[in-house]
Amino acid sequence: MTFALTTQPAELSLESKRLLWTVAIVVGASLPHWSGLAAWIPALLLLSVAWRLGVAFYGWRAPSRVVRLPLAVGAFLAVLFQHRTLNGVEAGSALLVVMVALKVLESRNQRDQLVLIMLCYFLMFAALLADRGPFTAAYIGLLVWLATVALIQIGRRGEFLPYRATGLFSGRLLLHALPVMVALFVLFPRLPGPLWGIAGSTSSGASGLNDTMSPGDITNLALSDEVAFRVEFEGRPPRASDLYWRGPSLTNFNGRTWSMPQGNRRGSETMASTIEYLGEPTSYRVSLEPTGRNWAFALDMPRRWGGEVRMGSDYQLGAFFFGGPRPRRFDYSVTSHVEYRAREPLTEGEREMFRALPAGSNPRARALAESWLADGPNDTMIVERAMDYLKSQPFAYTLTPPALGAQPVDEFLFETREGFCEHYASALTFLLRAAGLPARVVMGYQGGELNGVGGYYIVRQTDAHAWTEVWLEDEGWKRVDGVAAVAPERVALGFDGLGSGGATVAAAALRAKWTRQIALVWDAVNTRWENWIVGYGPELQRSLLESLGFENLRRAQRSAVLLGLAVVATITLLIGLSAYLAWRHRQRVGVDAAALCFAKFVRRLARFDVAARGPTEGPRAYAERAAAALPHAATRIYAVADLYLRARYEPDVDGSALAELLAAVAAFRGARA
Amino acid sequence: MRLGVAHSLERWAASWARRRQGADAHAISLKRRRIYILPTRFGIVFAAMVFAMLLGSLNYGASLGFALTFMLTGLGLVFMHHCHNNLLGTTIKFLGATPVFAGERAEFKIAVGNDAAAARLEIELCYKNHTAGPVDVASGGTETLRLGLPTQRRGWIALERFRVETRYPTRLFRAWTWVHMETRCLVYPRPADAARPLPDSVSGGVTGRPRAGEDDFAGLRAAAAGDPLQRIAWKAYARTDLLLLKEFSSGTAAPCLLDWDLLPDLDTEPRLEQLARWCLDADAAGRSLALRLPGCEIPLGLGPKHLASCLEALALFDNSKAPR
Repeated sequence: MTFALTTQPAELSLESKRLLWTVAIVVGASLPHWSGLAAWIPALLLLSVAWRLGVAFYGWRAPSRVVRLPLAVGAFLAVLFQHRTLNGVEAGSALLVVMVALKVLESRNQRDQLVLIMLCYFLMFAALLADRGPFTAAYIGLLVWLATVALIQIGRRGEFLPYRATGLFSGRLLLHALPVMVALFVLFPRLPGPLWGIAGSTSSGASGLNDTMSPGDITNLALSDEVAFRVEFEGRPPRASDLYWRGPSLTNFNGRTWSMPQGNRRGSETMASTIEYLGEPTSYRVSLEPTGRNWAFALDMPRRWGGEVRMGSDYQLGAFFFGGPRPRRFDYSVTSHVEYRAREPLTEGEREMFRALPAGSNPRARALAESWLADGPNDTMIVERAMDYLKSQPFAYTLTPPALGAQPVDEFLFETREGFCEHYASALTFLLRAAGLPARVVMGYQGGELNGVGGYYIVRQTDAHAWTEVWLEDEGWKRVDGVAAVAPERVALGFDGLGSGGATVAAAALRAKWTRQIALVWDAVNTRWENWIVGYGPELQRSLLESLGFENLRRAQRSAVLLGLAVVATITLLIGLSAYLAWRHRQRVGVDAAALCFAKFVRRLARFDVAARGPTEGPRAYAERAAAALPHAATRIYAVADLYLRARYEPDVDGSALAELLAAVAAFRGARA
Repeated sequence: MRLGVAHSLERWAASWARRRQGADAHAISLKRRRIYILPTRFGIVFAAMVFAMLLGSLNYGASLGFALTFMLTGLGLVFMHHCHNNLLGTTIKFLGATPVFAGERAEFKIAVGNDAAAARLEIELCYKNHTAGPVDVASGGTETLRLGLPTQRRGWIALERFRVETRYPTRLFRAWTWVHMETRCLVYPRPADAARPLPDSVSGGVTGRPRAGEDDFAGLRAAAAGDPLQRIAWKAYARTDLLLLKEFSSGTAAPCLLDWDLLPDLDTEPRLEQLARWCLDADAAGRSLALRLPGCEIPLGLGPKHLASCLEALALFDNSKAPR
C-alpha cells in the first residue's frame, strides 16, 4: 500500500469542515428518532449523507433536480401513506428527518448549512416530545452545545476558530442562557389542555389492568415488573394490609367473564355524599404511569381529589381530560380514609343487578351458597360462612393455576382449588350473589414497595389485585378479600412476601438484592425528574403562585401574573448578564494582568533602592535606570521589561507572553540571594 | 417598494445617530452607547422557530419541549449580548487613502484595533453596499482594512458615514456603529487615452531650473518642500544635518511645460484628463514638468511628489475658474 503514503490527506478545506460539522449535527439530532421510524427513513438519511460526502470528497456527481424532485415527492407520499396523517409527533418526526435528508443532499453553501442546523433544533424538539427521560434530555443538551459550536464555526466567513476555545465559549454561552431558561421554564404560564387536537400515538406501550376478568383463562400470570403508579404520602402511610388501591369494579357476570357495567348510575357528588369517613385521613400524591385508560387509582376510600379527577358510580376515581386518555404520566392528589362506611342506598333494581347470575351456571357453587341460608342467617353471617369455607378447605394461592372449563367457579371451588386473586374474587362474589347478597368484583392494586431512597411507594403491575365488595343493609359496601383468607401474607406483606411459593423465577431474579437497590435509586432519580421537570405544569405553577401569596386567582389571572413575572425575571436577568459582561470587560481592561505583574516587579525592585517608576517613565527607560542601579541583574531586568512590552502592547493571542512575564517576575524573587 | 421604505428608514436612523453621536475624531474607541443591534434575517427565522416550538410545547404540554424552547430563547438573547459586546473596546482609526485615478477603486485604509481584554472577532467595515473584512483582532492587536469604493469623478471622495459591524458569534444578530470621520481620498482625473503626443517645445512664460533629469549626478542643492524623498542625500544629512537634494542633469530629456491653453479644442473635463495623461507621460519619460492652469501654476519639477501635486491641482481644478 505504498500509494497510501503518497496520498497523504491534506488539511481539510474550510468547505469540508463546514460540511462535516453540519453532517455530524444532522446525524446526531436525528439519532433519537431512528428507533421509532420506519427503517427506510434513517436509511434515506444515511444515503443522502454518504452521497453528499462523496460529492465533497470523491468528486461524485451531485444529484440533479431530476433526481431530487421525484425523491422528495416520493418520500413525502411514503410518510403520508405510512402514518395516514402529517399531524402528530411521529408523523412529524418522520417528515422532519426526510426533509433534513433531502436538504443535506442539496446543501451547497453556508446558508443551507445554517438552515440545516435550524431543522436540527426541530429534530431535537421532536425527540423531547417523544421521549422525556433524563438521558434523552442530557443528550439533547449536549447536542445544543455542539450546535452552538457549529453555528459559530459555520457562520464564520473565515477559517474555523480553535475548537477548544470555541467549545469553552459555547459552554459559557449556554451557562449564561441557563438562568433565563430556568426563569422562563418556571414562570411561563402552562396550559392545562392542548391548543389543537393531538393525534394519538399509535404505539402507546401502556400496560395495566383489563376491563374484564376471566379466571381460568390465564394459566400463567405473566408478571410485569412495570410500575403502575407511585405514591408519596404526606404523613404516615397506612398499614400495608390497608393499601387497597381501588380501580374499576366488575358487575356483569356471564358465567365465565366479569365485565364492567355501562354508564354511571349516580353522579360524582352524590356518590361522595354516601360515604361516611372514619378514622384519620391520609393524604398522598399519585403519579400514574400511562395506562391508555381514564382510570385513576386511589386508596380505598377517597375523600378529596384534585383537578381533573372525578368519582364514578362505583367509587372509582376517573381522570377526565380533554380528548381522551393521555399518553403520558398523570399526577393527582387525593385524601383517603382507610376506615369508612360506603352506604350507597341501592334501589331494588340495583340490588337485583348486583345479585344477577346467569341461569344454570356453576350449579354446585350455587347449591353450596344456598345451603348456608338454611338456618336463616343475617347478611354478616353469610359473609363469614363464605370466608370460613375458603379458610377451611385446602385452597392454595398460586400464579400458575390449572385451566378451568365451562363451569369455572365450580371447578375452582371443588376440584382444582388453586388460583390467584382473580379466582378467589370471582368465586367469592359468585357465592355471595348465590346467597342473595349484592356483590361485585373490584379490581385494583394491593400493597406497594417503599422506595427508601425517594421516600415514596412504588406500585407495580405485579401488585395488581382483585377483591370482592359486598353490600350489606346496615353497612353498605364492604370489602371482602378471598386471598386474605387463603394467603394472608399476600395482603399483609405485599407481593414480595409470597416468597418462592408462587413467584416466578424471573420475578425472583429481578429482586436480587443489589440490582434491586440500584433499581430503586434509579427509580428515585427518575421519579424526581418526572415529578419536578417533566411533570412541571399548571398544578405546580398554581402552588408556586400560592406560596408567593397569589391565592384564589382564576386561571386567566394566574396566567397573567405568571407571564408578568416571567417577563420581569427575564429582563432582570438580561440586565444582570449585561452588567456582568460590562464588569468583566472593565476588570480585564482596567486591571491588566500584565500591568499588575509589572507593578509588582517595580515594587520588588524598590526594595533594592530603585526608585519607583515615574508616571511618564516608559518601561524601557525604567529598566535602563534599574539596570544601572543593579548591574548584576541587568539582563534579567531587561528581559522582564521586554516581556512586559510584549504582553501588554503586542497581540498576545494565546497569552504566552503574559505567562512568560509572570514566570520571569516570580523567578526574579528567587534570584534575590 | 419595501426596499425603498427600508432604505429611507435606515437613512433616517443614520441621521438620527449622527445628531446623537456628533462627529468623530480620526481615531475613536467604541463605547456601549453608540453600538446598535438588530436581528438579521437568519435571526428572525430563528425567533420564528423558537415561537413555533413554544406553540408546540403549549399544545403538547411538554415540559422538556418548554425547556428546549427556553434554552434557545436564552441562547438567542445571550447571542445578542455577546454580539453587542463584540464591538465594545474596538478602536477605529483612519489611516488615510492613497489618491487614485477616476475609475479606479479608492481604498480607505482603516485600522481596527482592540483595547478590550478578549479578542474581537469578525469585524467588518461597510459603506453602503461595499464591505471590507471580516477580520479578527486579537486583544491589544490592530488589523488594517481597506474599504474600497469605485470612483467616477475627479475631486475628493469621502466616506461621510461608514459602519463598523459584526455578526459574531452566530449571525443571528448584527451589531454596528456608525462612524462619522473625516475620511477623504483624492481622485485624479481619469487620464485620457494616449492619442496626443507630449508637447515638445518649451512654451513661453514658464521658467524653471533647466534640464533636471536623472541621468548624471550634477551636484547638491538645498531641499525644498515638495522635492522627491528618494533624492534627498541622506548620507549628507547624517553628516551635516542639512537636507540636501541630489541633482542630476539629463542629457536628452527636455522639460515639459503643460499649459491649459495648449488644448483649446477640448472642454474642461477632457482637457483636464488630457493634461493628466501628459503629466503621467512626462513623468514616465523622466522629464521635468511644469503645469499652468487658470488660477494655478506649478513650477518645473520632477519626481513622484511633484507629479502628485500636479495631479492634485488637476483633480481639484475649480470648474468655475475655467475661462469661457
